Amino acid sequence: MTLRSEVLELPDSPDAVYRAFCEREWCDGLPIIPPTAQRVEAMLATVTGDPEESLGPIPPLWRQATLEKLAVNAVMAGCLPEHFPVVVAAVEVMLDPAFNLYGVQATTHPVAPLLILNGPYARTIGMHGGSGCFGPGFRANATIGRAIRLILLNVGGGWPGRHDMATHGSPAKFSYAIAENEAANPWPPLHVELGFAPDQSVVTVFGGEGPHNVNDHVSTNASGILNTVSHTAATLGSNVKWYLSQSQLLLVLGPEHAATVAADNFSKDDVKAFVFEHARLPLGTLKLGGMWGIQDWPRWMMAVTDDRALLPVVASPSEIFVIVAGGAGKHSAVVPNCTFSRAVSRPLTRLP
Amino acid sequence: MLSPVGEVRHHVLTAPMLPSDLRGKTVGFLDNTKANFDRLVTDMGGLLRERFGVKAIVHRTKANAATPAAPEILEELAKACDLVFAGSGD
Repeated sequence: MTLRSEVLELPDSPDAVYRAFCEREWCDGLPIIPPTAQRVEAMLATVTGDPEESLGPIPPLWRQATLEKLAVNAVMAGCLPEHFPVVVAAVEVMLDPAFNLYGVQATTHPVAPLLILNGPYARTIGMHGGSGCFGPGFRANATIGRAIRLILLNVGGGWPGRHDMATHGSPAKFSYAIAENEAANPWPPLHVELGFAPDQSVVTVFGGEGPHNVNDHVSTNASGILNTVSHTAATLGSNVKWYLSQSQLLLVLGPEHAATVAADNFSKDDVKAFVFEHARLPLGTLKLGGMWGIQDWPRWMMAVTDDRALLPVVASPSEIFVIVAGGAGKHSAVVPNCTFSRAVSRPLTRLP
Repeated sequence: MLSPVGEVRHHVLTAPMLPSDLRGKTVGFLDNTKANFDRLVTDMGGLLRERFGVKAIVHRTKANAATPAAPEILEELAKACDLVFAGSGD
């Protein structure tokens, strides 16, 4: 296997390697696994394709996402070789024009690509969807998510304050990757809902904010849980709603909340319809700030004059995604998108 | 150690030179819809006409700041203008 990357000779010392990579702005501020040729070749052996093959240029600096460069960054992140097909699929997804990676990389908004892995490969590599799935503690989640960030930094060039203009950034920008808790899901999992076969392994990437907590310790039926979810989803400060055609919500229902909702014979479509109807803000509240006056709404919403009228935050129930993840406890999460990126899914296709 | 930094595969593009003199030129502004950009265009347009002899200002607005400009807007600006301001800060 021929590798083309520039070679850097460094002392055989973790401190020296860490220092050198930090000085060059080649890492996320945390220690890295040294990307030796041997480790990179082991990573590349888990996918089909030549190391020089590029998946495309990554914005904002439009540098090529060759399999070799993805592998170098995956090694640095601490990925095991079997994690690499997921990293490659995630980059393929993010380069779909619908994901608008340029906007995700360059915006002032604190968006991070949230990777959701469904299907048997999640179990094969130990991608965690149970208690504490957003972290910390699980190598597949932590390192696959970190590899994506390192690729966005080192290949895309999205360095904070220079090309990534996020006002605050986000802890989710270090790593943001989970599996769906399919075993605790009372409904078909996300990839099956999207039309993939149950035995396919599918990566979905959602350009979202960090998870917003939904605490509901008292509701014993679907409407109670989903009222709390809806209130969390409709806030004046969120991007969601201002550019309605681009607004999407991800509901991450905890297994206990999901079981309570499903026990009321709610399907996923019922959940989406309920939240679409209830996650709303009065026109009078929307006038208080946010992006009032520069919103992009359909004609019927622009025509509303009654300040008491309740207006939706997404264009239709189909713009709401529902997954089940997490462990015991009366919590769920809402992840609003950044409103300039649409969720994209695709199966793992490069497994040898 | 291998470098993690991606490589650029250059494409050669031929771009016209920016005019050295704005007198008699048409200047375009691509408005991203964010607050006060329209005021900025009005003020800058006035200055460009008064101080630099610009002939005309073409102000076109995207649907929103989240999505790229429609192709017809880009085509119109390309045809009508000698140069276009296509970026702005928030």
